[in-house]
Amino acid sequence: MLTIGTGAGRRPPPNVRDMSSTPAVEAERLHKRYGPKVAVEDVSLSIDAGEIFGILGRNGAGKTTTVELIAGLRRPDRGAVRVLGLDARRDRARLRQVLGVQLQDATLHAALTVSELVRLYATFYRDPVPAGELIESVGLTASARNRFESLSGGQQQRLSIALALVGRPRVVILDELTTGLDPEARRQMWSTVERMRDSGVTILLVSHAMEEVERLCDRVALLDAGRVVALGSPAGLVERAGFAQRITFHAATPVPEGLLEGLPGVERVRADGGRVVVEGHGELLQAVSVALVRAGVVATETRSERAGLEDAFVALTGHRLGAEEEDPR
Amino acid sequence: MTDVTAHRPGPRAFGTLLVCELKMVARDTAGLIVPIGLPMLILVMNASAAGGQSVGNGRTALDVYVLPLVFTMVAATTGVVNMPSFLAYYRRSGILRRLGVTPASPLMVLVAQAAVGVAQIAVGIAAAWVLALLAFGANPPVRAGAAVGVLALMVAAMYATGLIVAALSPTPNSAVAIGLTLFFLLGATGGMFGGRDSLPGPVAAVGEWLPFGAGVEALSAAWAGAPVQGAHLIGLAGCVVVGTAVASAFFRWD
Repeated sequence: MLTIGTGAGRRPPPNVRDMSSTPAVEAERLHKRYGPKVAVEDVSLSIDAGEIFGILGRNGAGKTTTVELIAGLRRPDRGAVRVLGLDARRDRARLRQVLGVQLQDATLHAALTVSELVRLYATFYRDPVPAGELIESVGLTASARNRFESLSGGQQQRLSIALALVGRPRVVILDELTTGLDPEARRQMWSTVERMRDSGVTILLVSHAMEEVERLCDRVALLDAGRVVALGSPAGLVERAGFAQRITFHAATPVPEGLLEGLPGVERVRADGGRVVVEGHGELLQAVSVALVRAGVVATETRSERAGLEDAFVALTGHRLGAEEEDPR
Repeated sequence: MTDVTAHRPGPRAFGTLLVCELKMVARDTAGLIVPIGLPMLILVMNASAAGGQSVGNGRTALDVYVLPLVFTMVAATTGVVNMPSFLAYYRRSGILRRLGVTPASPLMVLVAQAAVGVAQIAVGIAAAWVLALLAFGANPPVRAGAAVGVLALMVAAMYATGLIVAALSPTPNSAVAIGLTLFFLLGATGGMFGGRDSLPGPVAAVGEWLPFGAGVEALSAAWAGAPVQGAHLIGLAGCVVVGTAVASAFFRWD
């Protein structure tokens, strides 16, 4: 149903990566500092045409600066960015036609309506998506005559995405797409992004929401203190966390020494008072349960989790994603 | 990938932006009332008394003193107070940054804003003029051409002053505060609270060179049919040059 995106003739087939062609986005050894604070240090990225590429990191890790460098909004102290073969600074005029950007925290003319804003931004591009069609594609038809300031957070966000797509871009940057949205609005937004990708658009998604990145991205770069600390598919990164599953339970009586360590698949056991954490792979839950029952240990509040990006993030950076870094700006 | 060609938004984009900026201003009620309502109030308060005092050449004190003051106030409130606060708000809220990633140049926004401001000033002056004409029997300037020329130069000078405020104020709130302070300073030294004759000598002398005082004096001269003094024109033109230079050196889009 979503027909926005590039013109049919120019569009690469979805999900097909031609490794021999120019990457959609190529950032080479980017450096950027604000005063004494280094915001981005030696960041290199290569994003293939047609993929959803995620940049994941805590607040202040340098995500937004990286995006601004790629969008040509700021000049890197060192390094270069090419988007679709165009230099982000020198070829800005041409780049603006093919790069759609949704900026974090950028609001729009507050007193203008959805329809007025879409029509305004449409006039900036050579071959814009018709306003009505675009508004419908992000589900704002019923609010088309409402002013920007009267829209809900989710509606404002959807309008912001619509404006990023109005020029039929071939590359789209989405910065903190779903921050502040309720779960329902988030899921809608994710479907919108997936439809965008299906129409052949290359997407750079900046996020600090694990779930979002795990669900949407083909590849992810983990950014920490301005550096890329890991790069790969979400599954690949999780694998690097070193375990696949984690069982957590409360033991009413002490667990006999060595009982769990010897079980098949168990890699690590940590006990803290009555709380026991077992990490490993395979049929972990069953193995642990059987062993506990045989030993006569009553386990309560048993939880079993698959390892996720969050665990990978902790393993790779040494801190949790929710914690904040000092903002470099 | 050399198939991408540049496409600069043309007159149609500018026209749409202009209409959008007009709507923004029209929907900001407070911003409309001050520049149009305040000068009208001054006019009404002074018109009856001044309308009867003849100052020669068939003109009254209303024509020669009150109307130039009222017109200058319209230009100053719009140029020095409203325009910088709009720009500061655009910068703070990220509107300019957002436009910066489209093919539209942020300069287009600046020009559209200026055009909207000029329209606002034109409406304010027209409203005051019609009121003075119909209700208080005002007379047109003796040298109409000179009056129009001075008016245009004065509006440019007020805008240039506003650009300095926009370029140098760190936040939207400070832009409003600095703009208002500057407006009252310029107004006070330029005769807004009574003739400049009652000001201390040095203050009056400086005020005569500043855009408010120079604007009122030059407009007053054109209205009375007297030659416009070179000092006033130099003061206004100098303000345009300095304002443009400061703004282009210090203005930031984000």
